[in-house]
Amino acid sequence: MKIINSIFIIDDDPITVFGIRKMLDRTVEFNTISTYGNGKLALDGILKVLKNGKAIPEVIFLDINMPIMDGWQFLEEFIVLPIEEKVRINIVTSSIDPADYENWGHYNDKSHHLITFNTKPIKCSEIAAITKPAE
Amino acid sequence: MLKSSQIDPNNYLIKQLPKATAFLNKKLEVIYASDQWIEDFEFSNGKVIGKKIGELLTHLSKDLQKDFKDCLKGNNGSGIKECYNVKDNPKKWNEWTNIPWYDEKENIIGVIVQTESITQKINNIPNIERLQLLIEEKSSNSSIGSWQYDAELNSLWWCEMSKQIHEVPKDFAPKIETFIDFFKEGHSKNTISMAFFEASEKGISWKEELQIVTEKGNEKWIITTGKPIYKNDKCIGLVGTFQDINEQVITNKKTEENELLLRTLIDSLPMNVFVKDLDSRKILVNKSELNFLGLKHESEALGKTDFDFLNKKNAQIGREEDIMVMENGIPMLKKETTNIKKDGTTTSFLTSKIPIKGANGKITGLVGLSLDISDLKKKEEELKNLINVTSLQNKKLVNFAHIVSHNLRSHTANFSMLLEFLVSEKDEEEKQNLINMLVEASDHLLETLNNLNEVVVINTNVNLKKQNICLNKKIKSVEKNLSVFLKNKNVNIINNIGDNVKIKAIPAYLDSILTNFFTNSVMYKSPDRDPIIKLSSSSENGYTILSISDNGLGIDLKKYGDKLFGMYKTFHNNPDAKGIGLFLAKNQIEAMNGKITTSSEVGKGTTFNIHFNENN
Repeated sequence: MKIINSIFIIDDDPITVFGIRKMLDRTVEFNTISTYGNGKLALDGILKVLKNGKAIPEVIFLDINMPIMDGWQFLEEFIVLPIEEKVRINIVTSSIDPADYENWGHYNDKSHHLITFNTKPIKCSEIAAITKPAE
Repeated sequence: MLKSSQIDPNNYLIKQLPKATAFLNKKLEVIYASDQWIEDFEFSNGKVIGKKIGELLTHLSKDLQKDFKDCLKGNNGSGIKECYNVKDNPKKWNEWTNIPWYDEKENIIGVIVQTESITQKINNIPNIERLQLLIEEKSSNSSIGSWQYDAELNSLWWCEMSKQIHEVPKDFAPKIETFIDFFKEGHSKNTISMAFFEASEKGISWKEELQIVTEKGNEKWIITTGKPIYKNDKCIGLVGTFQDINEQVITNKKTEENELLLRTLIDSLPMNVFVKDLDSRKILVNKSELNFLGLKHESEALGKTDFDFLNKKNAQIGREEDIMVMENGIPMLKKETTNIKKDGTTTSFLTSKIPIKGANGKITGLVGLSLDISDLKKKEEELKNLINVTSLQNKKLVNFAHIVSHNLRSHTANFSMLLEFLVSEKDEEEKQNLINMLVEASDHLLETLNNLNEVVVINTNVNLKKQNICLNKKIKSVEKNLSVFLKNKNVNIINNIGDNVKIKAIPAYLDSILTNFFTNSVMYKSPDRDPIIKLSSSSENGYTILSISDNGLGIDLKKYGDKLFGMYKTFHNNPDAKGIGLFLAKNQIEAMNGKITTSSEVGKGTTFNIHFNENN
């Protein structure tokens, strides 16, 4: 399996962050994992990466309900960034609200990135499949 | 003697007689003649005496010739009407009265002739006939018959029309008893008997509308008149008329019945009916309309316009509708109108206005029908409110369901994940770590459940009653409870609320609301300055408004406005923020039928306006 250079985990719940990290440690080869407590912090991180000409993350795990800037607001800003590479964004949410599902469809259509919708809890058996970088 | 007649004094005497007179001898030669006679017949003077009457008047009728002969035999003549042409004149008529002419010895010596011009009389005859015809014609057309009563002879006479009216044969001989007997028993007979008596005894004329029963048994309405005739101050009889008015009366009765029916109908209609003329003056209103106008009698409304009853603006709208309908001839159908009377009472109507056309096709006014739909409107309004409340409740419920599902699911998802790790974990230290996390997740779940429970209680506890609360008293008690917290943070509360301001609220909720907003203001204080909380109150549209302003961080409402009061929504990097305080406060305010509005400027501060409903 190809080694993934950079993974972002954006979630305000430390247990979820811990869980995803732990699963990735077990199943995926990667160089770095960065975690952010809300969308704003993550966006700032990406802008910094872009500014410094460093590699942008290939896979992002994105929570929806977060303080300050939620997952949708993050996506809104992210998809307009000048990123040519196709980034894999895994929405990971405990929400079963159909409105959230619709929102996902909306952003998926709008963006050239690969956006998937996943409901918590993520299983160890699934994590490898959704961490394959987009092609 | 005859020859010297010209100088005969007799002749001179006769000549001067004022009447047309001539003396003829046995040969019917004119011996003497009055000037009048000569003038009447337009004979030339001097050529008359000695001439035979037959020469003077060429076409003597046989009757007259016979009359002369009779006279010569000693009989008086019988008065002959004779016509002849005088020159170019139209016919002239004379009445001849001839008598024998005797001498002193009673010998017949000729005929004395006296004539009287009756041309005018004769010419009048056709006039009288015409007049009679006219009367007959009139009497048959107008169905007016006449009658006469001769008191001396106690005889009654009916004209033909009178007989027709009574449906008796032409040869019927009316008597004074039958006259009265024809009248219908009861009122009619009593009235005519009395009238007849009063006329003959007191000379009072009558004109009565009464019913008769004809010979054939038909009941009929007639007008009968009677008038006494006097001779030397003595009533010698009566004259009068019968007029058949049966059809009229029946038609009138029918019309009256129809009118009554129509009137009953429009008065019983459960809607307002009115008819207006071209100037929008009411010319008919039904009972419902009268009731609406607050009047008792139709006469109070007739001739008046909406301007007399409704407020000016309202009446003007009505007048404009009237004009549209009457000018274009197009009915206005089922328009929803609101009528405001001068006393301010408001009624909703479903109004139709239909133009009325006269016989010549021109519009003469309009008929209006207004159905009072105030109750319907009220119910509709209630229904709308109910729908609003229901949909609001529904929205809340859906919202709550999402909160529950989201918040509970996030914790259970963590449980599930952590347990999956735990099952396969070999490392004891890591196991302990996972167990710690499970305990943490459990605590969070418990807390979430408590919060949710609190929301459920707020939204379902209908037993808590609102009370009149002095706002300042409550503020002071909350300040006291928070005194340590406020002192530690150097909070300055500036209270501009008067001690007399009272609100209707559930005390426990008000406690919680005030506590939440105060701590919220402090929690999101600006790092550059000590917190200042300003309190003020105002009143608006049935709400008492408590305004809480702070000089804190402020919040970008464009970005976060719709989430400000959401559960577990936090907007600043504040470790103490749980995103539950404003959520609960909002639920409590809404549970008391209040609402909350917010204004904020990033970096300057936030103002919350809490609307307390003044009604229960």
